This record gives sequence, C-alpha cells and structure tokens, in this order.
Amino acid sequence: MKKLLTAIAAALAGSIAAEAAEPVKIGFSESKTGLFAQAATSQYQSYNLWREQVNAAGGLDVAGTRRMVEFVSYDDQSNPGKAVQIYEKLITDDKVDLLLAPWGTSLHLAIAGVIERYKFPVVGNTAASVQLRKLKAGNIWFPTSLFPDRQSEVLAALLKDRGVSSAALVTNQLPYTQENKSFVVPALKKAGIELVLNEDYPPDVKDLTALLNKVKNAKPDAVLAYTYPADAVLYMKGAREIGLDQQTQVVLLGPQYDFFGKIFGPARNGILTMGHWTPARKDWPSARAFADAFKARWKTDPDFLDAPLAYVSAEILQQAVARAGLDKDRLRETVAGTTFATINGPVRFEGVMNVALPTMISQIQGGTQHIVWPPRERTAEAIAKPAWK
Amino acid sequence: MADLLSGQLLIAALVLAGIYGLVALGLNLIYGTMRLLNVAHGEILMLGGYLAYWCFTLTGVGPIWSMFLALVLAGGFGAVVYRTLCRRVLRSARLIEQIEANSLLVLFGVSIILQNAIALSFTATARAYPYLDDIVRIGGFQVTADRLVVLGIGLALCFAVILFFRFSGTGLAIRALIEQPDAAHLVGVDVERMRTIAFALGFGIAGVAGCLISMLEQVSPFMGFPFTIAAFIVIILGGLGNIAGGLAGAAVLALIEVYGVALTSASMRSILIYGVFIAILVWRPQGLFGRRSVVR
Repeated sequence: MKKLLTAIAAALAGSIAAEAAEPVKIGFSESKTGLFAQAATSQYQSYNLWREQVNAAGGLDVAGTRRMVEFVSYDDQSNPGKAVQIYEKLITDDKVDLLLAPWGTSLHLAIAGVIERYKFPVVGNTAASVQLRKLKAGNIWFPTSLFPDRQSEVLAALLKDRGVSSAALVTNQLPYTQENKSFVVPALKKAGIELVLNEDYPPDVKDLTALLNKVKNAKPDAVLAYTYPADAVLYMKGAREIGLDQQTQVVLLGPQYDFFGKIFGPARNGILTMGHWTPARKDWPSARAFADAFKARWKTDPDFLDAPLAYVSAEILQQAVARAGLDKDRLRETVAGTTFATINGPVRFEGVMNVALPTMISQIQGGTQHIVWPPRERTAEAIAKPAWK
Repeated sequence: MADLLSGQLLIAALVLAGIYGLVALGLNLIYGTMRLLNVAHGEILMLGGYLAYWCFTLTGVGPIWSMFLALVLAGGFGAVVYRTLCRRVLRSARLIEQIEANSLLVLFGVSIILQNAIALSFTATARAYPYLDDIVRIGGFQVTADRLVVLGIGLALCFAVILFFRFSGTGLAIRALIEQPDAAHLVGVDVERMRTIAFALGFGIAGVAGCLISMLEQVSPFMGFPFTIAAFIVIILGGLGNIAGGLAGAAVLALIEVYGVALTSASMRSILIYGVFIAILVWRPQGLFGRRSVVR
C-alpha cells in the first residue's frame, strides 16, 4: 500500500512538473502595418493556426518533454531596419527559445546578419530571390522553390510544350516581378519564343486598358502578366473587357489569393500562375487537412503561396525541436541534415535551399489551384484558357 | 494610331476621370473651406469600401444602395471629426500655414488610427466581391457594367455638387466661405455650421467614392493612400479649393494616364503624370483653373 501511494505521489509530481514546465517562447516580427501588411496576413494566420494545433495536442515536443507554445511578436511596420531591431530584441532582451521568420525577401535578407551574429537558426518561408542563395549557409534556410531563375526556365519549358511561339510580357516595376522578368526574357529566347511586346508599368497604375490594347494588337500566342495582387485585378478586368483571347495567359501574383477567386470566380479558370503547393496532391496527405483547418479557423481559404510556406517552416521547426531540443547548435545540425515531412511534401536542405521540392507552375482549374508542370509533379494536365465568361 | 480614336480608350479615360474627380471632390471641399489638409481622405474612402463589401457579403445589398448609407455614416463621422479635432486646429492656428501644418499632423494621426483599427478588426487581408461584371457592348468596343455605373454615378455626383454650390443657399454660403471667409462671416454666414456641413459633405463623398471603387478593385486597410495622393495631384492641377477646376484636373490626369501610355509606354505613366504636375506647379502654381486670390 505504501509503495502504491509513493508511486501515485511520484506520478502526480511528474504530471504537475510537466504542467508547470515553462512555455516555449517563439519570437518573430510581423508586418502588421505598412507596405506588406496585406500580403503578410496569411503568414500570421498560419503561425497562429500551428500554435493552436500544437497547444491543443498537449504542447510542443521539446526532445521528449511537452511544453506549451507562446508567441512573442512585434510589428515591424514592413520596415527591414525595424525587423533587425526586433530580432535583436527577441534574442537578447525577450530571450526567446526559438524564432520564426518575418515576411518577404527584403526582411529575410535584413535579419540574416542578426541571426548569424547570435548563431540563432531560423527557417525562412516567404522569400524567393536569387540573392538569397548568396547568404551564408548556417542559420537560415528557404523551403520554397519559386526562385526567379528556375521558375523562368520551367515556365519557358511549359510554354514551348504548349506550342507557344510568341509572347507579350507586361511587368510591374516592383522587385520580385522585375527579377522574374530579368530571367524570363533570356529563358524565352533560349526556348525559341519570340517576345513581341515587353513593357513595364508602375505599381500605382489605376488602368491598364491602353497597355492591354497594345498587347491585343501585338497578337502574341501567350500573355505573361507579371503582376502583384492589386494590379492582377486590373489585368484580369482589362483583359476580359477588351477580349484578350489568348489560350495561354500567365498572371504571376494574384490568382493564389482568396479574394481573387471571389472577384473572378470561374473567369479565372485556365490562368497559369506560380506556386508549388495544392491540397490536391494525394501524396501530401496533410495538405488537405491544413487547408481545411485554415478555412475552419480563419473563415477564408489559405492562399497557395505564403500560408502553406509559413506553416511548412513551423512544421520543420517543430520536427527539429522534437529531435534536438532547444540547443541552437544541435538544432542547426538537425535542420541542415534532416528530411522533414510537411504539407508541401518532403523538405531537405542543401546549403540554404530546399532540394527536395522541384520548381513548378500552377493553373487555376475548377476553382482551385493545380500543379500542371513539370509533368511528374502535376495534379492536373494544363488546359487551354477557356473564353472569358 | 487608330487605337487612339477608339471608344475603348475613351471610356477608360472617362471612368478614370470620374473616379479621380469624385475622390478629389471631397478633399477639395475641405481644403477650400478651411485650408485643412485632409490626409485621412483615402482612409474615409477605404471605410466606404469596407461598408460596401460587408453590406454586399452579409446582406446582399449592392454598393449602389449602400453608398447612401456610406454618405450618411461617413458624413456623420466627418461632422464628429470636425467638431472634436479640426475645430480646435482652426481655433488654435493664427496663420493659414499653421492650419495646414497642424491639420496635416492631426489628420495623419487619424489616418493611421483608421488603417490600424480596420486591420485589427478585419485583418489586412484583401477582400472583394463580384458585382455587375457583365460585359456591355457599345458600338465597336466593350466595357464591364460596373465601370459604366461608376462613371455614371461619379459624374452625376460631381455635377450634383456643382449645382449645389451654384444654386442652393447652403452651397452659396460655403462658396462664400471658400472665397471670402471674413466677408462671409460679416454678412451673417454661420461659419461653424457651414464648416461642419462642408466637412461632413467631404467625408460623405469620400465614403461614396469608396463604395464605388470597391466594385472595381479589392478593399484593404491600406488601399486609401494612393487615392489620397491622386486626389492631391488632381486638386493641385485644377486649383486648390476650385471645385469645377478639380473636375478638369481629374480629366487631365485620366487623359495623361490613358492616352499618355497609349502614345508612349506604360513605364512612362508616372513620369508623365508627375512631369505635368511639376510643370504646372512651376508655371502655374495656382493650378490650371485656379485664381491667384484663392491660394493665399
């Protein structure tokens, strides 16, 4: 009897100790205001969905011990300088246990110096610039495969496969679209696709009618609209209005977002776009679960870019911490040397890059986004864009 | 070249002129009567956009109807902002320059608060809804119905405001306040009342503009700023405080944007707009249609 009581007391003490275990503090900066605020929302939503799921399951597995997750975050005002200060504060003052990434290429680049100085590993997410490859490998990694050079080559291959021999390119003058343009122009040339029109437009444009008229008159086989989300709406409305009837139309940034579907509904079917994630992939079983959980939590569908990438980075961190605990050196080694199972398939890093995920092109079909290229990765065959509805 | 004469470009320019004209109208009214620089103008437009979005999404009421609600609510909000904040600015400033600088700071604060309040309430996610997006064929070109509606309502509202200022007692009193504030006071114009009405009207029109623009593009907490900038360009082109001149300024801006791009390149758009803007500031600082006496 005495032994039994002792055993119960020991078990109770153990469970109390587990409950009383300090929460794991995870820090990051959010672009709550400023230029990126609109785009950064889904990253924040994915982080929070992940935190709630982890806590509901009993906490984060820290090398065998379950601990609740607590976020420490500050608004970086979409300002890289501010993000640097915030990450410094998170590390030195808040003394967070782990870090998640800020939003966008410029902020990832900005914080690279701080995390290198403190040797604090961070799994990046919403950043895709060729410049990122120049970062020193060690404390930062990028799960995406949407790097402009590779994306341009893959797109040119798809266009060639679809029998495209001429294209018109209209490009927003913002960094990501310009970087893509700088790679797609030679890629098209290499693929033997003639560029019959190549014009830039400023980000604050309010009407694209005149430019799209020029595209119509140039009679290309394919139209490449290198947009950001706001002007993607202008492109779609203008193209539909003037009757741009090309069966191959690429809209770079915009179709991935929930609001785009709400405006255009079936009219967006057949639009090609960038993206390497879809809940339609049967070999990524957790992708559908993530999409459903996101919708249930936030009453909106996740976008096909930032929301899954943010979640993937949290999944990687979660699996790495389960193996390595919170020790930074062990964590770094684990992230760099492990293959992770995520909602976007396996992730394995070589240097700063994820080498397990090929670059892909997606297309809106039947109200969702499918991967259509390369063939071995696709969830649906690319279709000719139907006439505007 | 034949494209330049096509109805497609003309209708695009007219729609854009209608939007710019309407957005600038409210800003001009407030600046004209009180010399208050309402940099929160775009945020009032944004509130109108959200109102239209929620009305449509939750109740199915389209922006053509919700714009009346926007007129009343944004107008009421304008009256409150005037009475609580801007009246103090007017009372405490002795020089016009001080009024402009002080109002700029106060209303900049208002704009930040509104942006963040909406971002906190509804998140910064862009929102949109489809409304009147059927294609209408007119002669040799086609246009979506929503753009025609925006054009129609925008122009109707602009002309209604011009008629209001020309023929109604209140409108005439506000004009008197714009042109001769001291004399208006001497001849018995109730300055406070007229200023409140002008402020409410300025906000109300911005709210309506937001409802209309929500038909054409997505709404987000940060959508307002580019419209504030466009509105400032328009009213400077047309002449600060000159209501009809503002409409002409809107037409000039829209023509540059559409035909300038057609004649040159889309990448020239900002260079053309700001080039003309700077040229006018240098050679005709009172604006294309402004009188020197208006800008003091």
